Order: sequence, then structure tokens, then C-alpha cells
Amino acid sequence: MIELPGTIDAETLLAVDVGSVHTRASLFDVVDNQYRLVATGRSLSTATTPLLDIGEGVRMALDQVQTVTGRRLLDEQDSLIMPSTSEGAGVDVFVATSSAGPRLRAILVGLTPGVSLDSGRRLAEATYLELIEEIGLSDRRKDEEQIDLILAARPDLILIVGGTDGGAHDSVLRLVEGVSLAAGLRPGSAAPRVLFAGNRQLGAEIVERFADRSSVSLAPNVRPGLEGEDLTPARNRLAEVIAEMHAAKVSGFDELRQWSGGFLMLSADAFGRVIRHLSTIYDPRRGVLGVDIGASHTTIAAAFAGDLRLTVRSDLGLGAPLPSLLRHSSMESILRWLPTDIPEEVARDYIFNKSLQPATIPMERDELHLEFALARQVMMTALNQARAGWPKDRNGGGVPWLPPMEPILAGGGVLSRAPRPGYAALALLDALQPGGISTLVLDPHGLTPALGAAAAVLPLVSVHVLESGSFVSLGTVVSPIGGGKPGRAVARIKLEREGSAPVEGEVRLGQLVVLPLGPGEVGKLTIRPQHGFDVGFGAPGKAGVMRVTGGAVGLIIDARGRPLVLPRDEGRRRELNQKWLYDIGALQ
Amino acid sequence: MKASYLPPVSHVVPLTIVRRDRTLPFPGTVTARLNERVQAVDVIAEAETAPRHIFLDLARGLGVSAKEAPGFLVRQKGDRVEMGDTIAGPVGVARRTVRAPSDGRIVALEGSRVLFEVRGEPIVLRAGMPAIVVSSDGVQTVTLEAPAGLVQGIWGNGRQDFGVLRTLGGGPAARIQTDMLDINLRGAVLVGGMCDQPAPLHQATELNVRGVVLGSITSDLIPAALRLPYPLMITEGFGSLPMNSAAYALLTGNVGRDAAVDARPGDRYSYQRPEVIIPLPAAKQADVPDDVIPLAKGVRVRVLRAPFHGAVGFVRDLPQKAADFPSGLLARSATIEIEGLGNRLIPLANLEVIQ
Repeated sequence: MIELPGTIDAETLLAVDVGSVHTRASLFDVVDNQYRLVATGRSLSTATTPLLDIGEGVRMALDQVQTVTGRRLLDEQDSLIMPSTSEGAGVDVFVATSSAGPRLRAILVGLTPGVSLDSGRRLAEATYLELIEEIGLSDRRKDEEQIDLILAARPDLILIVGGTDGGAHDSVLRLVEGVSLAAGLRPGSAAPRVLFAGNRQLGAEIVERFADRSSVSLAPNVRPGLEGEDLTPARNRLAEVIAEMHAAKVSGFDELRQWSGGFLMLSADAFGRVIRHLSTIYDPRRGVLGVDIGASHTTIAAAFAGDLRLTVRSDLGLGAPLPSLLRHSSMESILRWLPTDIPEEVARDYIFNKSLQPATIPMERDELHLEFALARQVMMTALNQARAGWPKDRNGGGVPWLPPMEPILAGGGVLSRAPRPGYAALALLDALQPGGISTLVLDPHGLTPALGAAAAVLPLVSVHVLESGSFVSLGTVVSPIGGGKPGRAVARIKLEREGSAPVEGEVRLGQLVVLPLGPGEVGKLTIRPQHGFDVGFGAPGKAGVMRVTGGAVGLIIDARGRPLVLPRDEGRRRELNQKWLYDIGALQ
Repeated sequence: MKASYLPPVSHVVPLTIVRRDRTLPFPGTVTARLNERVQAVDVIAEAETAPRHIFLDLARGLGVSAKEAPGFLVRQKGDRVEMGDTIAGPVGVARRTVRAPSDGRIVALEGSRVLFEVRGEPIVLRAGMPAIVVSSDGVQTVTLEAPAGLVQGIWGNGRQDFGVLRTLGGGPAARIQTDMLDINLRGAVLVGGMCDQPAPLHQATELNVRGVVLGSITSDLIPAALRLPYPLMITEGFGSLPMNSAAYALLTGNVGRDAAVDARPGDRYSYQRPEVIIPLPAAKQADVPDDVIPLAKGVRVRVLRAPFHGAVGFVRDLPQKAADFPSGLLARSATIEIEGLGNRLIPLANLEVIQ
């Protein structure tokens, strides 16, 4: 458990996030008694061949920060200068996060479907693991078949759950028996790691069962009592195990851990921590949503008054796993987002080429459209699957649009390098389909994991930087829930701003309207929805007045309907996609 | 000052020292000796597969209690047995025994149960190229070294083989057709431009070819490519992409020589990459190729993405300021002098060094 210090003397913070494709360094310092982002550096990650050492990428990113700021961060031995010196070199606090490392394949072993197996699955799905098989007590496969299954699957990790603390004993040990035999049949270096997060009283016996067969780590029980699950403590231990497994294959993690005082977080955990923190600040009746679309993983973090639901999809990303998207989505569902005619075979080739060269970027407009179409489908797929793990009263009950979330924080390479804010905004609206009123916030510098990690040692940093201009508010979005015939009146709106004439008018179904309301500007919005349209004032057709803040795009009225229904006719659909890009300011 | 940018590197080298690990999928026995000169087809290590396991219940088989059963074992953990061999017993007047259900090995004793590993097919590891054995761990991995030409690809269908290089003709941009594949190419490693239909790939199967090396195939051919019995390697990617001029020149310049095609797909976390190795007579000047080459003026590069995907050129300038592109993206870039196209500005992210 990490102690949060009440006050701190440290001022300068350096954060490094090592991704599978890029490594980012961010320097924060105190300006006018507030922590502010001073500079960022970005380099290609060097976690992969030929170097298999993250150190070089980290130093290249730090070198960029040094160049921009003139502040020396590394000494003659290329080590981090810490604490900072009176000459202004070095930093006071260093934090690090990572999502880089080879894919780790895991088998889940648990007692009961719907109980411990479900908790174990949620634990595995909240981090950088690829769950390839499950074995339960009610498994119909014979013991020897389970052994052959484990041998054939060649997992990197076996995650064992089951039993409340002081509860089930024999059944857990019986289940472990075959697993430990299988682990023992793999040669030493190929033996899987084991993490036991079940009945705490069985820890010693579990370690004994695996003895010299596998390295066993013990984690707090995911279901300590009958009343429910508690994944957080086990998640922390699992994160450590994953970090150790990555460090065994890629060099440089030990140095980062040393610089950060032994505290190297997984990026997804740090991302989730920020979202959970926000959920304790914002309206507890609504959730906070975080979406991070990376090259190798897509992270969906939803938090409801402090209850974090984290989902990490290692099979969904805009790099190496991109072809996996075709297992979840048809080509048609990807191409529907395009504003231009790109043949299916060209798009398919693009998907496979991008998986081979994940760091490349689109030079041409059509490729950019395709990249954003893929991003929409990846986010939509990941979100739909993540929602199944949200509390039943918060997941929208199966409606195809997103239940009210405030704010929606989005990050990831594709969104952060969007040529115009409207690109990112429209991709988020299409993919997430927020219902009611939300604020879209973009993390253009990939700071969220850094702030999550920093929150453990410098709680004020995350608070100050989240409120600063380092995160870009794209704007408030009003998305009336309802449908019907295109052109039907949806609502009358009136935006009043100090010093400006009010803007008033009627929006119709199918329209995407952006009203001028810049970053930091505040306005009073009056909405009178038509019968059958709900904007979140308590019931369909109910009018209301609210204070809205602007953003890089403006005040967005997304009257395209919820659920968003695109025309079946390809030509008409492309025209509309094109029009909406112009309407939201992505194209000019 | 750190190198500011380390792009990926692909090797297209006329003569170098190639050092490669050959590894069994699980431990067995290395049969090659240190410093031994091996040929491509030579077996350098072998192992036995373990296709399945069976639990033998001694108590039930012998008709005794679970506590007594282990006392009747006549074989130990690790023992190899043949089908019908007695593992435990005899017990009682009926002289009940537990016998081996097939050839195999006793791998574990768990209470009154024996875990029996059924003996599988032997597997062998071949050298894959003429080389010298320079090291070995004795049980799983052998390191080979040879002077050779080397062409690294970007994707392969997972297979490996060895044969004589032949060209399909038509140049690096030619679409291969079935009529380009005649009986004279039987048993060869074929070099061609690109493929967008399955028929030529199947025709190559009929000719028993030892490998096909192309610039590209269309991605809809991936399932068919994965089923081919011979190695298929592509150098550029998926779509209709000509083979880059450097690789094509090197491969066609060695027509008639033997070549090893290792079409195992690349793994970003191991040193495995699809590649063609062309063993050459020993040369004193050859070096091991560089894996890390910072981007600098004069370095030869290849473009990894449209609109110049596959084009090879030289870095002429590395502007400090980011450039904007028709996509609207702003990115650090390099001026590349591309053969036949002149100077073009390309994002650094879309470049790899060709050595």
C-alpha cells in the first residue's frame, strides 16, 4: 500500500511512459504555485529488437526535454540527476509507467463459473494479459486433458483464483494438482509463472505444490468474503508480476524502477487511477469514462463514484493487433465510417501493413480517413465489451448509446496527432455515441498515465495539471437520445454568452451543429427537446437550462440521433460522413 | 548527445557474416558438434514430441487402497517403458498389474496415480544452410555461422526450406502468373514481383518448389499462403507492391546459387525475422551486419508507407522543423532522394534503414 504524503517539498517532476511504439518524457515544474507541464519529449521505444532495452528510447526522449528546456537531466554517466541541484539540473521526483513488453498469454484456473472464475477473468482483462484458456472445477475435460491443454497452450502465466479466505480448501488444492503437474513438465526456463489470488490460507500449500516447478506469487484474494470481490489489491500484485515478466525479456526496466524508487506502474493502472480520481470529484450520479487507444492495447476505464472498472484489450489496437479487429468486426462496419470511397481490398491491405509497421503515419488524406475509421471501430468494439463489466445500474442496460458520463477523457496516438480537434471529436462521438450531455477532453501529450503514477507521490500534480491547458477540452456535447425520420425537429436551443448576442435556433435529426464557444468560455444553454428526445433533464421532451463550457471545437449539438443510424446507401453515407467532418471543423 | 532517431533496420547485404540460432521447440539432444561444418539438410538436433498424457490409477488397477498402491510400483519417475511393460504389481492371487498402455515415459507420481507420457513422433532440427557450428547449449539451441548474402523480409508464412535461386522474370513489379511457372523451376526458390491471385501459389506447390520470395501479396491471400507447403516470404508488405530494387538486384544477382528461405514471421521481441540467406564462399572482409544505424545524411533508406511504399533512396537532408503532409499531419521528416523520383519529403516514422 502506498502512503500518500500530506505535504511535499519536491518541485520538479519527471515522468516517463514507455509504450510499445513510443516513449514519452514529461517534465513538470511549479509555476505560480501550480504544477505545470514544462516540456515533453518523444522517441521511438527501444523495447523491441534490435535493442530489447528500453533505456535508449528513454534517454532519447529525455534528451529532447533537455534540448527544449536547457535543463540537464542526465549526468556524465547517463544517469538521472536526482534530486535537483542548486544549478537547476536534474529533478526531484521521477515516476515511470510502461505498457511495453511482449504479449503475455495466461490461463485462468478457478473454482466456480459466475463467481471466482468471473472475478479472475475481470482481473486478467484489466491488464496486459491475453487470456487464452480457462479451467474450472466443473470442467468436463479429464485431468490429463487439462494437462495436455496447458502444455499445448504454453502460457506465460497461470492465474489461480478460488475460495473465500478460510473457505474452500480441498477443491482448490485438487484443481491445483493437475496444473502444478503440467507446470512441472515444461523445462525450467519455459515453466509458466503462477499467481495465486484465492483463499489466502492456502498460500503456503500452493507454494509447496509448485515447489521447484514454477515461481509462485501470492496476491490478496479476489473474493476474500462471501459479500463480493475486491480486485484492487490483487491487481497491484499482478501488475508487479507482469512488470517482472517484461523485465525478464526486455532490459532497462530495473533502471527505471531504481530511478522511480522501486515504483514502476503499468500504464493502464495509472490511467485507471486518474479516471477513478476524477469520478470522486465529478457528479457521482454519472460515471467518468477514459479511453486510451494505443498501438498494442486499448484501455477503457470507467469509474462510478470511486468504483473503477478497467478493461485492457490486448487484441485491439492500431498496431500489431489490428488484424484481430476483423475477428470482431466486418470490413463493412469499418468502411461505414469513411467519407471517401476506399475499396475493401485496399483497406484490408492497409490493416495488415499497419500491423507490420505500427509506428508509421498516414501521409495522404485517404489513409488518415482510414486510420480514423479503424480507430472508431476499435474504440466501439472495446467499449461494447467493457460495458459488460460495468455495474448493472450504470451500463445503460444494453442500449447502444453510452449512458451519461462526465467527462470523457481520451488519449492515444491517433487522437492526439489528429490534424484538427474536430477529427478527434467526431471519432469519439461516432465510436462512443455519448447520450445526453458530456464534455470531451483530449490528452494530446499522453500525460494521463504520468499523472496517475505521480498521484502516489505528488497528489497535487495530477490535480493542477488536469485543470491546466495541457489537456484540451474539445467542448461540451449535447446528444439528444431519440430517433426518427431524418430532418425531424429534435430541439430548440439557445446559447447566451456574456458580451455576445444569443444564438438561437432549431436543430433537426441528422444535423451536427457546432456553436462558437472557445476554450475557457462559458455560456448559458437552454434546450427545449421535442417530444421523444431526451437530453438528460429527467425525461424525454423535458427542457432545461445549463451552464456550458467551450472547447477547441466549440459547443457541439450532436442531433444525429441515438443510436446513430447511418444511411444504407454507400454514396449517401460517404456524403454525410464528409459533411459531418466539415460541420465539426475537421475539414475546411 | 544521444542519437536523435533510431529507425528500424532491414538488411539487404551482398556479403556478410550471418550468425543464427536454430532451436528445438522443446529440449532434446543436440547432435551437431562444435566447429562442425554442416550442410542445409543435416540434422543438428532432435527431440521427441509428447502428444498426450494419461493418468494411470494404480489403486484401481491393482485393487488395493490408495495408500498401499505406490508400494507396488516397479518403475520409477523418468523411466521409459514399452507398451505392455509392467509399471506396478503383480498383486494378489490374480496377479493384477498396471501395464504401460503404449510406448512412453513415466513423468510423475502423484499419490496413487502415475502420469504417463505417450511417446510421440521424433522431430529433427536441420541446419537450413551450410554453416559452421559455433556454439550450442547441448539440448535445444545450436548457433550456426556462415558467410552469406542476406535479404530480410517483412512477413512469412512460417515455413523454412533450401534450394537453388531462380527468377520468375518480368522484373520486381511483375504480377506472377501461372504461365510463368514451368517445369524448369521444379525444386527451386523462386524470386518474383507480386501476387494477387492464389493460382500461381498453388501452381508452385505442384512444382514442388522450395520457396517463393516476392515483393508483396494481397492480404486476401494470407489464409492460402499459410497453408502452402513451401516457405513464402514477402519483402514489402500486402497489396500490389513491387519488390524494392536493392533486394531484387541482390536476389536476381545470385540466381543459380543455393539459398535458405526462413519464412517464419517476425517477432518484435526476438531476433527472428523472415529472411533469405545465400551462402557464399568464405571471405575475410565480411562483418556481422549492424543492427542499430542512426538516421543521418547519406544513409540508404526504404519508405514503409504510401505514396512511395517500397521506394529506396538516400537521406539528403534532415530538417529540424516538422513538415505538414496532405493528410494534415505535422511530422519530423527527412528529404530522401528516391531513385527515379528525385527528392521527396518523408516522415521519419515512415522510414527504415536498408543496410
